[in-house]
Amino acid sequence: MKSGYLNLNYWDLIIQQPLTNILIVISNFRGGSFGLSIIILTLVINFLLLPLTMNQIRSSKAMQDLQPRLAEIQKKFGKDRQKLAQEQMKLYKESGVKPAGCLFSMFIQMPVWIALYRSIMLVLAVVPEGLLDLARYLYPWHIVYSALPLSSKFLWIDLAHGNPILALLVGASMWLQQKMSTPPSTDPRQAQQATMMLWMMPLLFTFMALSFPSGLALYWVASSVFRIVLQYRVTGWGGLKKQPAPAGDTGKKYLKFDTIQEKKSTDEEPRADVIVKDSGPSKDNLNPYKPGKSRFQPGKNKDQGKNKK
Amino acid sequence: MENTVKLKNKTTIGLIAILAAVILAIGLLGLSCYGSATAVGWSGGTVADGTLYVGSNAGQLVAINLSDNSTPKFSDPIEFKNQTGPLSCNALSCGSTTSTVAIYGTPAVYDNFVYIAGYDGVIYKFNVSDLNDITPKKFFQPDGKLEPFVGGPVIAQGKLFIGRSDGTIYSLDAATGDLLATYKTGDKIWGTPAVDGDTLYIGSFDKKLYAFNISTGKLNPKWDTPFETQGAIISTPLVYKGVVYIGSFDKYLYAIDANTGKEIHKFPGKNWFWAQPEIVDGIIYAGNMDGFVYIINADTMKEVTKPIDLKSPVASAPVVVGNYIVFASRNCIIYKIDTVSQSIAKIIPLNLKINVNGPLTAYEGIVYIHPQGKNMESINIDNGDVLPKIPLQK
Repeated sequence: MKSGYLNLNYWDLIIQQPLTNILIVISNFRGGSFGLSIIILTLVINFLLLPLTMNQIRSSKAMQDLQPRLAEIQKKFGKDRQKLAQEQMKLYKESGVKPAGCLFSMFIQMPVWIALYRSIMLVLAVVPEGLLDLARYLYPWHIVYSALPLSSKFLWIDLAHGNPILALLVGASMWLQQKMSTPPSTDPRQAQQATMMLWMMPLLFTFMALSFPSGLALYWVASSVFRIVLQYRVTGWGGLKKQPAPAGDTGKKYLKFDTIQEKKSTDEEPRADVIVKDSGPSKDNLNPYKPGKSRFQPGKNKDQGKNKK
Repeated sequence: MENTVKLKNKTTIGLIAILAAVILAIGLLGLSCYGSATAVGWSGGTVADGTLYVGSNAGQLVAINLSDNSTPKFSDPIEFKNQTGPLSCNALSCGSTTSTVAIYGTPAVYDNFVYIAGYDGVIYKFNVSDLNDITPKKFFQPDGKLEPFVGGPVIAQGKLFIGRSDGTIYSLDAATGDLLATYKTGDKIWGTPAVDGDTLYIGSFDKKLYAFNISTGKLNPKWDTPFETQGAIISTPLVYKGVVYIGSFDKYLYAIDANTGKEIHKFPGKNWFWAQPEIVDGIIYAGNMDGFVYIINADTMKEVTKPIDLKSPVASAPVVVGNYIVFASRNCIIYKIDTVSQSIAKIIPLNLKINVNGPLTAYEGIVYIHPQGKNMESINIDNGDVLPKIPLQK
């Protein structure tokens, strides 16, 4: 005997409803702690999506490893944009790196995160209407019915309302994760975009987390911490580490001071500012600041010095 | 040319990534709103001296004269000032903001005064002797952090009783607002109490039904302990011939001996029992969140006939009008059920895309329904005609 009241669409039936009920069951087994349940389910889903996440992190690392070679190409073909792009694409192809690969992983994971987000909002039932809406998502399990409504208290936090500390943690963990995973770029345009993303998204999410129930912020922090640990295992501190100066010309100019041993003798091809004098070769010729050094004057014969003797 | 296009594509990919992130952020914000995160209210109506009093979704007390169908009278809105200070920022604003208070409980009327419990945790009192000047006055505000009132107040023997979201039951002097007694339960109270004689019954989210002696303000000594179920209780109890009928989130409708607090029988549904049941000639009509109305013998707690499928959850308490019992399903369809044949006599769709969550009210053959919108709906039960809407906002 079934009523037609459920009216759940495919998204609800396949993703939303199972996630919601799992969240409730885990809470029940964790002494009614919804906060713990959020953390556990977030970690479980992260583990299930591990292959995609690892793919994403490895793509980023591969990009990072390519940076020195990209810098060489930039130096070599910097003035020829067409050739530069050609060589860069060739390098990507040879190394098997897909610059947009991480984006694909992100789009696959997005529906899962949205469903988890929605489940947390449903189960939290922040307002009385929310509890009514939750009823249609429940499986006919006694454990589910008797567990509800869940307590929104977790440690000192009310998960049904925004919490400034958790909001700050959202921003900080996002920043950290992005910083570790963002490879330094020699392309000024890409570097600018990376910097913008590094700061814009964490700031945006921090402000939004102040409006969300802090249960959502808790799930975001748990997810970020997991990814930070994963990132560390693959790349170490990554972008957080101070990067060494790359080999080759970085565009910086240095003053060069020649040593005595390195000083060129006058027997070598003369430079335009070498003045030729009468004195013959002597040991003093090694000292560029002592008189007697010949200075070549263009158009004059070298034999002039010999005639004066 | 091809490589120039590829270079442009890389830049475009970067911009798309930024745009996707912003869209995701905005989408999540929108989802949080969609996820019923706003308190709206579901106040039912109370009729006294030919006037229907209801709390509107705009935080106002609305008085509707049912005799002459004149323009409703509106009180000043009850407003709530949000938290101020540097931590009061959210994604949309910073600093203090004022918003109207949601009203969930049905108003209680006593001696020319109407009492409303607000979602802001304050009880308001309105003097309705002059309906042209209805101003909310703070009647009672508990100490400490404000916790919402969701259930409505009841008044008996000059005392006002109400349960709050912090799990406390309050007993107040209905005239002065003086606190007479409190009792702390184990979890939230969102239900409205019921009174029978000298006893008050109220359920809590701690899965227990409590019985209080109104005169003493203490637990009924005849009950060894509060009656315990396996699920939270939000339903208002129904008392009939010495038996208390109460629905629970454990999917059971219980029949409890009012004298001893012991279980007599119980009846299983398939989802939560949320709405208060109704009883006509010894037959219980209990709406369930599974969308069915169960028709049960009050003595044996056995089904009398097949349940009636309303095809949508039942959260509203029904009303009895003559030989009919009227239910509203959440999707705004009204069912007139014949209590003689125990079958549907008429189905009246209101054709609204909003929910009906609050209890129905009946007066002189007219049933009043308060959906989550700006108007009150009304139906003439005799002929099934949908009457003109009554505006609940100025």
